[in-house]
Amino acid sequence: MSTTSDVLLTPELMTQLERLELVSRKIFRGRLKGERRSTRKGQSVEFADFRSYVPGDDLRFIDWNTYARLDRLFLKLFFEEEDLHFYALLDASPSMQFGTPTKLHYAKQLAAALGFIGLIRSDRVRIETLGQPAGRRAPAFRGRQSVWRMVEHLRSIEPNESGSLAQGVKNFCIRNPGKGIVLLISDLMDKQGYDAALKYLLSQRMDVYVIQVLSSEELVPEIRGDLKLVDCEDNDVAEISASAPLLQRYQKTLAAFVDGAREFCSHRGMNYLLANNQLPVDQLVSSYLRKRGLVR
Amino acid sequence: MSTLNMLSWWQWSLLGAIPPAIVLLYFLKLRRTPLEVPSTYLWRKSIEDLHVNSIWQRLRTSMLLLLQILLIVIAMLALLRPGWSGNKLNGDRFIFLIDTSASMSANDVAPTRLEEAKRRAGELIGQMASGDVAMIVSFSDSARVEQQFTDNRRELLRQLQAIQPTNRGTALGEALRVAAGLANPGRAFEISETQVVEGLPATMYLLSDGKFDDVAGFSLGNLKPVFVPLGQPDAPNVGITAFSTRRREDKRDHLQAFARLENFGREELTAQVELYLDDSLLDTSQVQLKSRGSGGAVFDLGDLHAGVLKLRTHSGGCLLADDEAWATIDPPTRGKLLLVTPGNDALEFALNTESARELVEVEIGKPEVLKTKEYLQKAAAGYYMLVIYDQCAPEQLPQADTLFIGRLPPGGAWTAQVKAAAPQIIDVETAHPLMQLIDLGNVQFAEAMPLKPPAGSTVLISADVGPLFAIGPRDGFEDAVLGGEIVGVDAEGQRYANTDWPLRLSFPVFVLNALAYFGESTAATGTTSVRPGQTIALHSAAAAETLQVVSPSGKSFSLKRERGENFSFSGTDELGVYRIDEPSLPPRRFAVNLFDGSESDIVPRPDIHIGYNEVHGQAGWEGARRELWKPLLLGALVVLCCEWYIYSRRVHL
Repeated sequence: MSTTSDVLLTPELMTQLERLELVSRKIFRGRLKGERRSTRKGQSVEFADFRSYVPGDDLRFIDWNTYARLDRLFLKLFFEEEDLHFYALLDASPSMQFGTPTKLHYAKQLAAALGFIGLIRSDRVRIETLGQPAGRRAPAFRGRQSVWRMVEHLRSIEPNESGSLAQGVKNFCIRNPGKGIVLLISDLMDKQGYDAALKYLLSQRMDVYVIQVLSSEELVPEIRGDLKLVDCEDNDVAEISASAPLLQRYQKTLAAFVDGAREFCSHRGMNYLLANNQLPVDQLVSSYLRKRGLVR
Repeated sequence: MSTLNMLSWWQWSLLGAIPPAIVLLYFLKLRRTPLEVPSTYLWRKSIEDLHVNSIWQRLRTSMLLLLQILLIVIAMLALLRPGWSGNKLNGDRFIFLIDTSASMSANDVAPTRLEEAKRRAGELIGQMASGDVAMIVSFSDSARVEQQFTDNRRELLRQLQAIQPTNRGTALGEALRVAAGLANPGRAFEISETQVVEGLPATMYLLSDGKFDDVAGFSLGNLKPVFVPLGQPDAPNVGITAFSTRRREDKRDHLQAFARLENFGREELTAQVELYLDDSLLDTSQVQLKSRGSGGAVFDLGDLHAGVLKLRTHSGGCLLADDEAWATIDPPTRGKLLLVTPGNDALEFALNTESARELVEVEIGKPEVLKTKEYLQKAAAGYYMLVIYDQCAPEQLPQADTLFIGRLPPGGAWTAQVKAAAPQIIDVETAHPLMQLIDLGNVQFAEAMPLKPPAGSTVLISADVGPLFAIGPRDGFEDAVLGGEIVGVDAEGQRYANTDWPLRLSFPVFVLNALAYFGESTAATGTTSVRPGQTIALHSAAAAETLQVVSPSGKSFSLKRERGENFSFSGTDELGVYRIDEPSLPPRRFAVNLFDGSESDIVPRPDIHIGYNEVHGQAGWEGARRELWKPLLLGALVVLCCEWYIYSRRVHL
C-alpha cells in the first residue's frame, strides 16, 4: 500500500490540483451557500442590481448613499453564491479489475483528484459506484477537511458483482435527483450497451462527463495462439485463434466502439474522453480535462 | 494409363486409415488455452464480423482439413505409380542384346549410343513385373553373357551399367546363338541326356545401330525379336581407314606415310589431318572428301629410323575412335643368318662381302648343327631372319624365312621331279625383288630337279624342264627353293661344281638381293597394325621365355611362350601403341587401330535380317514408361506449402 501507484492522491498532485477548480457549463442551484454564483440573488460580495424598497425588506441592504443623493430608498441586490454538486460515478464491476494499474484504481485516482478539486472549492462531492443499491446513498463530502474522508471512502470501494451499467446509472439517478456535474468513469463494456445508461444521465439535465477507461491489454492485445477467452463477469466463452486478420478486425471493432461512444456523447451534449490506464492521472487532469473544460 | 501397385494390402489399409484419422482429429476440438479477459464483448463482435465478412474465413478451418485429405490422396496416387506405358514389355522372358561395338561409341545420341542403349534397356527392365526373368548379353565381334536369366532387377541393372564399350567390330551371329540356345534348348550347345527343358518363348530386345552383317541361315524359333535401332540417320563421321608407312620405291632409305580417310556423312568436306612424331607435330595436310567418298594423304618422312607416328583429324564427326591412327617405326636391326652347309666356298664368300655384313650377321654351320638343341631352340623361337640350307634339310621348318639349295623343304608341300640333266634356263622373273638386276643367260646347271611349288608360290627361274627356283609363303614366312645345287657331291664323296653361276657377276648380286629381301622386315619400316580384339603373334628376337607387353593405358601383360614357339597376345582392346619389352633388347612397338569401314560408317540401319525374317526397327522410342509419381509428389509438396501458408496466416502475427 506504500507504492505510489496505490496512493490515490500524492502531495505533488494535490499541490498541482489546488490551483484548479471544477467548471460547470450550466449554473445550478445548490442547497448550501457556496462559492458559485447562482441565478438567485442573495448574500454575497458581488453586486447585482438595485430595486425599490418595499416595507419589510431588510434594512441592512438599503443603499444609504443613494438615499442621501436622491432621497429615495433603494435596496442593493447581490448575487447569491451557491455550492456545486459534483458526483463521481465509478464502475466497480469485476472487469475494472484488469490492467496494471487496474482500471478501478485508475478510476479511483481520477475521482480522488477531481473530488479534491471540488472539496477545496467548497463544492459538494459525492462518490458513488454503480453497484450501489438504489436506497443507499454515499456520504457527501464538503470542505477541505473532508479530503481524507473522501480518500478513505474511495479506498473502501471494492470490485463487486454489479448488474448492468444502465441499472447502476438508473439507481444513481434515483438516489441523486439534483443537478450538478456527474463524472461517469467506466469501461463501458456492457453487453446491453451504454446508450440507456447515458440517456438516464441525460434526463437528469446534469453536466455529464464520460471517461472511458481501458487498459493497454484491451487497446493493444498481445495474444497469440488458439485461446478460449472467458468473460470475467458473465463467464461467457469466446473461442478464438489469434491471427493477424482477427487482431486487425479487433482493432477495427474497438475503434468503431470508441467512435460510436464519442459520437453518441457529442450529439447529446455530453463530454467523452477515452483514458488509457497508462496515462498518468495528473496529466489527464491538468491537460486533457482542462482542454475539455471540466477544470480550469 | 496403368498403375503399378507398390504396397501390400496391410500397408494399404494402414494408409487408408489416415484420412478418417485426420477427420476424427478435426472433430475432436482443438484444445484451447483459457484466458480470462475483462469482456468478450469486442472479441465476440470481431469474430462475428470475420465470420460474416469473409467466406474465406469460414472456409479456412475446413480448408486445412481438405488440404490434408488431398495430400494423403495424392500420396496414395503416387504410391500406385500411375503412368503411361510407352514400349510395353510383352511376355515374361526377355533377352537384352546390347551392341558394344566401336560404332556404338558414336556420340550422335548423347552421351553415346551405348549409354542410350543401356538407358533404354534399363527402362525396360524397370517395367518388368515380378516373376519376369531377363538376361543380358553384350556383343561386339564376340558375345558375352553379362547376366544369366534372373528376376533380380537390381542385379540386372547393375550388370547393365557395368557394360563397357569396346573398339571391336560387330557380329551378331554368336549373340543370336547364345540367345537362341537359351530360348530353344534343343539347340543349346551342350545338352545332357537328363536335361529336358521345354523351349520357352522369349522376347529378344536387340539394342544396336544395326552395323553388322545380316545373319543368314538362322532360325529364331521361340525368339521374338524386337530391334531397337540407335543413332541418327544423318550422323556425320570421317574416319581414318588406313595408315601405314613404306619405303619410297626410288629412294629406299626414305620412308613415306600413307593415310586414307573416308567421309561417311552426307556433306562434302575438307578434312584437316595432322601427323605427329612422338607427340610433336610433324606435318599437316588437307584432304578433300566427297559425300560418302574417300581420299588419301601422303607424308614424306625422310630418313626416319624410329618413332611413333600419330595421325589425327579434327573433322572426325560423331565417332572419336577413328579420328586417330598410329603407326610405329622400330629401329633397324641386323638380322641373323644361318648358313648350314657341308661346304660352299662361293656362298660363304658372297656372304662375307662388306655389303652383306652390313645387312646381316652370318653364322655358318655344318649339317650336324641341325640336330643340336641350341639350333632347335633358336629355330623355333624365330631367332634367325633367314636360314640357308645348302645340300641339307632340317626335320622341321624353322620360324624363319628359308632358302633351300638343292633340297626340298620338309613337310611335303614342295615336291619335285627327278633330276634332269643340263636344264636350259628360259625365263627369269626380274620383276621380283630377289631377281632384280640378274641376268642368267650365261649360267648353266649340270643337273637340277624341276620343282612343283605349293599354291601361291612365285616361280622365279623357269627352265625347259620346269621351275628351277621358286618362292612360296608359309605362315608369315617365305621359303625359297633352288632346284639345283651349287656344289654337288658325287658318289665317291668328291665335291664338284654343279653350276657356273658363282663365277658370274649375278651370283653375289643375287645373294645381296636375298639378304635385302628377307631382311626387309627387320629394316626400319612400319611395323604391323592390328585391329582391336585381334590376336597378334609376336616373335622374340632374343629367344626369351617371356615377353612384356604394355598397353597404351599402361597396363602390363606378361606373355609366356606357347608350345615353344611364338607368343600370342590378344589383349588388343585398346586403341594406340603397345610396347613390347624384352630383356636386353630395345623395346619394340605395334599399333592397334580401328581401320574398320563398317564400324566407321555409323549411319544406322532401320531394318535388319535374321535368317529369313526381316526385323523392322521400332521407329519411335516413347520411353519405357512415363511415370506420373514425380509430378504427383511435386503436387503434394505444393499442397503442403499451401497448407503451411494458410496455417501460418492463421496463427502468426
